[in-house]
Amino acid sequence: MDFSFSPDQTLLKNSARAFLDEHCKPASVRLLWDDKRGESEAMWKEMAQLGWLGLALPEEHGGSGLGMVESAILLEELGRAACPGPYWPTALVASAITEAGTDTQKKRWLPAIAGGDARATLALLDTELDWNPESTATRAEKTSGGWTLSGLKRYVPWSHVADVLLVPARTPEGITLFLVDPSAAGLTSSPVQTMDPGTRWTNLTLQNVPVRGEDVLGAPGAGARGLAGLLRRGAVGAAAEMLGAARRCLDMAVEYAKVREQFGQPIGSFQAIRHKCADMLLEVENSHAAVYYAAWTLDAKADDHEMAPSVAKAYVSDAARKVCGEAIQVHGGIGFTWEYDLHMYFKRAKALEVQYGDADYHREIVLRRIAT
Amino acid sequence: MDLNYSPEDRAFRDTTRRWLESNVPKDDLKTLDERKQWHRKLYEAGYVGMLWPRAYGGWEATPMQQAIVQDEMARIGAPPAINGLGIGFIGPTIIVHGTEAQKQRYLKKILTAEEIWCQLYSEPNAGSDLASLKTRAEDAGDHFVVNGQKIWTSSGPIADWGILLARTDPRIAKHKGISCVLLNMRQPGVEVRPLKQITGHSLFSEVFMTNARADKSDLIGKLNEGWAIAQTTLGFERGGNSLGRVTRYAIAFTQLVKAARELRRGGKPLLDDPAVRAKMGKLYAELEVQRYAGLRILSALNKGESPGAASSITKLSYTEFEKRFYETALEILGPWGQLMSSREEFEEVDTSSGEPGTWATAFLWARAGTIYSGSSEIQRNIIGERVLGLPKEVRADRLKA
Repeated sequence: MDFSFSPDQTLLKNSARAFLDEHCKPASVRLLWDDKRGESEAMWKEMAQLGWLGLALPEEHGGSGLGMVESAILLEELGRAACPGPYWPTALVASAITEAGTDTQKKRWLPAIAGGDARATLALLDTELDWNPESTATRAEKTSGGWTLSGLKRYVPWSHVADVLLVPARTPEGITLFLVDPSAAGLTSSPVQTMDPGTRWTNLTLQNVPVRGEDVLGAPGAGARGLAGLLRRGAVGAAAEMLGAARRCLDMAVEYAKVREQFGQPIGSFQAIRHKCADMLLEVENSHAAVYYAAWTLDAKADDHEMAPSVAKAYVSDAARKVCGEAIQVHGGIGFTWEYDLHMYFKRAKALEVQYGDADYHREIVLRRIAT
Repeated sequence: MDLNYSPEDRAFRDTTRRWLESNVPKDDLKTLDERKQWHRKLYEAGYVGMLWPRAYGGWEATPMQQAIVQDEMARIGAPPAINGLGIGFIGPTIIVHGTEAQKQRYLKKILTAEEIWCQLYSEPNAGSDLASLKTRAEDAGDHFVVNGQKIWTSSGPIADWGILLARTDPRIAKHKGISCVLLNMRQPGVEVRPLKQITGHSLFSEVFMTNARADKSDLIGKLNEGWAIAQTTLGFERGGNSLGRVTRYAIAFTQLVKAARELRRGGKPLLDDPAVRAKMGKLYAELEVQRYAGLRILSALNKGESPGAASSITKLSYTEFEKRFYETALEILGPWGQLMSSREEFEEVDTSSGEPGTWATAFLWARAGTIYSGSSEIQRNIIGERVLGLPKEVRADRLKA
C-alpha cells in the first residue's frame, strides 16, 4: 500500500503548478472574468501541448492513457489557480466517448480534443434540480434518419464554446446519450450570470433538435448507467478542484496571519486565529485523503468505487466552502473586497459544490450503499 | 499511488483472522487475571509488542501488520490487550533513553503484562501546562524522596510501576528542573484513589505520594532532562489503531442502521425519514474519510516516514469526529440513545477503546478523546506553530522567563 504520489505523478503536479503560476496568475483570471468568451484560446492550445487535454485518453487516439489520479492531480492545480475554462467538462465527454463511442465517434472527437481543436460539455441537469439520471425529462423521438430532441437543459457549463454537447434524453428504450451539434436548428441558448465569473453556465432549450442516428453514444437505453459512471468521475474531479481552491485559501490565510499585526503582534499568534488555521489544515488534509482515495478506486475498479467518489464529493463540498470562507474571516475586511484575490477561489469552490451532484445527492448515495 | 494491500499483508490478515476466530475467549473477561492470561496469549502469538525490537522481546513487525491486527480484533470484538501505556509509550521510552540494566529489568515484564504500568504526569494544577508541575523528587543519596499529587492516572489501581515526572530543581526555569524516574507503585508512600468518571466507571485515579522512594538507578536519562524525554514522540506504536478505530465506528454505524429500521416515526422506520437519512449519509461519509486518512498515515509510517507534529492532525481529526459521530447517533436515537444497559441488540455498542457498553456509554466516553494526550486546543496550538509555522503566542510565563 502506498498513498503517496509516484515520481511521475509528482512531476506532473510540479509542472502543472509551474505552468499555472506563470500563465494563470490572478491578473489573467481577472481578464478572463471580464472577457465575453471567458476562457483563453492560447492557454487551451498550450494545455494541449502539455498533454493535459488528452491526459486520460487512450494513446491510439492521441492521449497519454493516464488515470483518474493523474486527472485529479491536474484538477487540484487548476482549482488552485481558479483557472477558467471547460477543461473538466471536455475531459468528461472525452472519457464517455472513450467508454461507449463507436470507432467513427472516437476518431472524430478524441484526437481533436487531445489536440486542443475541440471542446465539449455535458448537460446533466434537466427541468428538475435532481442529479439522478432517471430524472431526465428531455425526450428523443425517432425520425427516418435519426432523432429529434425536445426539452430544457439547465446550467450547462461552457456550452457557448463547446463543439459538441453530450445530452441525455428519454427514449422508449430508456435514458439515451446523444452527441449534439451546438449549432443545430431548434437549439436556443440563454446564458445565465452566476457568482463565479470563471464558471459559465447556459440554459439550453431544445425544440425538435435533429440528431443523426450515428450520433447516439452507446446503446439506446444504456444512458443511465453511463451517466452514473460519468457523475462519479465528475464528482471526484470537482472535489479535486475544490481541494486546490481550499489549499490556496489556507496558504493565503496562513501567510496573512504571519504578517498582519494588531495589538502589536502578528494575528497568527492569537489562538483565535491559529486554531482556525489548524482546523482549516485538518479539513484540507482530510479532503486530500478523500479525493485521492476516490480517484484511486476508479482507476483500480476497487470494490468501493461506487461509494468513494460520493464520499469525496460530499465531504470536500463542505470542507472547501468552510476553508475558503474561514480564509476570508482571517483576512477581515480586505478579504471581502473585490480587489483582493481570495474571492476567486471561494467562488470557484462554491460553483463546484453544485456540479456533478451536490453533497445531499452524494450523501444519499453513500447511505444507500451502506444501508441496503 | 497504489492502495491495494500487498499479498503478504493479505496473507497476514487471513492468518490473524483465523487465529482470532479460534482463540478469542467465548465469555467476557471478568478478572484482571483473566485479562492478563488473554494478553499473554496475544503476546505469544506475536500480536503484542509488534513494533518492539526483537532484542527486547518484540516482534519487529510492520506498522501495517500491527494495524491489521488491531483491525481484525475490532472486527471480531476481541477483548483488547492490557498495559497499553507500558507497551505503547513507557517501554519505548526505556528502550530509547534507559540504561541496559533498566532494559533488562523492566521491558520483558511490560510486554507480558506481568507488571502493569501507569503514567504519573498530570497534576491538579498542571494539565495542559504540564511543565508547571509541583511534585518534588528530592535527592537522598542513593534515592529520591517523592512528595506530591498526580491525577487522571489511567490503570492507577492495578499498576505495579509508574513513569513519573517530578521537579528535581525548583530554582531554575520550569521546563529545566524536571526529571523522569520510574516509581514503584507498591509501597507505603503511594496511595491510589480511583476517580469515578462521567461514564460511571473508574478507569483513572488520583495518586498521592508521601515520602515515597524512587531509586536513583531508576532515573531515566540525565537529572533535570525529564522534560525533553517527555516531549519525545516515540514511533513504536503510533498509527497502530488507525484501522481498528474506524472499524469500531463502522460496526457502531451498522448498529445505528439496525436501530433506524426498528424505531418508527409517522408510521414508518426512521431509516425512511429524509431528515434522518441526510444525517446518516453525512456521518458515514465522514467515517469513510477517517478511514482514508488513516490509510494515508499508515502508508507513510510503513515506509518509515515519521509524521512528527502532523500526527496532531490525526488525533484532532478522529477525536473530534468521534464526538460528532455519537452526538448525531444520539440525536437520531432519542431516548434509546440514553440507556445505560441494553435490552435489544441494536442498543449494544462498544466504546472506541473496545469496552462493551451502550450508545450512552460510547457517547460519554467520546468526551475523553478530545481531552486526553493533549487536548484539542493543545493539538491546534501544535499544528499552528509546528506545522503551519505561525508565530508563537505571547505567554505570561514566557515573558517572566
